[in-house]
Amino acid sequence: MAYTRKNQRDLTSAERKRFVSAVLELKRTGQYDDFVRIHIDHYVADGEGKLRVAHMCPSFLPWHRRFLLEFERALRRIDPSVTVPYWDWTRDNTPAASLWSEDFMGGNGRRGDFQVMTGPFAYAGGRWTVRHGMTEQAFLSRDFGRPRDPITLPTAADVDEAMTERTYDTAPWNSTSRSGFRNRLEGWAQGQGNERFRLHNRVHRWVGGMMLGGGSVNDPVFWLHHAYVDLLWSRWQARNPSAGYLPKDPPPLGDPQYRKVAALHERMSPWNVTPAELMDHSAVYRYA
Amino acid sequence: MIVPRRVALRSLFALAVTAFTGGALARIGAAPPSAGDPLAGGERSADGPVAFDEMYGGRHIRGMRGPSGEPVVLVDGRPLHLMRCADGGWVTPVDHYESCPTPLAATRAAVDELGPAPLSRYAAGHGGHPGGSPRGVHT
Ligand SMILES: [Cu+2]
Repeated sequence: MAYTRKNQRDLTSAERKRFVSAVLELKRTGQYDDFVRIHIDHYVADGEGKLRVAHMCPSFLPWHRRFLLEFERALRRIDPSVTVPYWDWTRDNTPAASLWSEDFMGGNGRRGDFQVMTGPFAYAGGRWTVRHGMTEQAFLSRDFGRPRDPITLPTAADVDEAMTERTYDTAPWNSTSRSGFRNRLEGWAQGQGNERFRLHNRVHRWVGGMMLGGGSVNDPVFWLHHAYVDLLWSRWQARNPSAGYLPKDPPPLGDPQYRKVAALHERMSPWNVTPAELMDHSAVYRYA
Repeated sequence: MIVPRRVALRSLFALAVTAFTGGALARIGAAPPSAGDPLAGGERSADGPVAFDEMYGGRHIRGMRGPSGEPVVLVDGRPLHLMRCADGGWVTPVDHYESCPTPLAATRAAVDELGPAPLSRYAAGHGGHPGGSPRGVHT
């Protein structure tokens, strides 16, 4: 029986509490930090001449789908009623959203050091010490909207535009792919200033602080953000039933992307699963 | 989707029944080094300023060439990993979502987001294996 992932704004206060408790328990046991490490270890930029499975590549979406499933599985071992809620950032697009309240994600970082001072993940609460970050900073940090050079969250119109894509991904299968749903949603774009940050990337930018770097998983809102990214992919799949994952076959010898990206039936580290295995989630979870 | 539905279902179920013991993920360990050329295409004049030494945002930032010609950056004496992007730009582990035109620009962008703390070992190279290369695609 498939379980349901809900919009975070529709959770009851009991559901919010159970989600937060399960996340804190995962942190206490050390498993949460294992997820942080996995994400750090799999960030490879696309000009490095190395295999990429998590970012700047076609398997960005299936890799994160599996990452969320593993996280959700770990949460549900602690509390079987918990699922990962999603954050529709086109709608809850201000710091005043209930998402950031004291009983859920907590609020913005303070001026100066960007330290999150409210909610369950504030350092002073004693239950959220960052161990694997890009600096030795032990507290969670955020910088909503980057006031010194303001940026807004993506809009519903931005999402609709990406949804008009009819192809999953296109060569050269990286951050410079000019069309295709994957890169539109991942959000690498040409241009000046804030135009360069679209959809998924732009949300990381808007939250700021730890969400901006390799240690973005240290901010629990990472999961709510990626659940919405996964929902958008799921919706796109439903609208484009004949548009499968690309590339279907591995780029051949001589192609610059030869052995750099995962094709449909190639296995992704660290789980050794293929994109093909992650196309249909309907037996495991659904979105409300 | 193009995957036979039954195959997809089986795989997702397999995930759901896989024993997930605490700490299992921790054993996902060191990856074998990738055969990739770290500069992916070699030196280009478009690399921009590689050698620099300045105070920026209260941090001492230094850029230089490493042993194999790759740009190396230090922030207050600690290494900051620079990664090359396909568009010719650079990203650092501090600011992952912005490709900057030069190592200097990428370093400054990182300092803008750093906060007051010193860089950690992760900033020098993801997870202790520079480049953060995951294990290979297994076919
Ligand atoms: Cu993300």
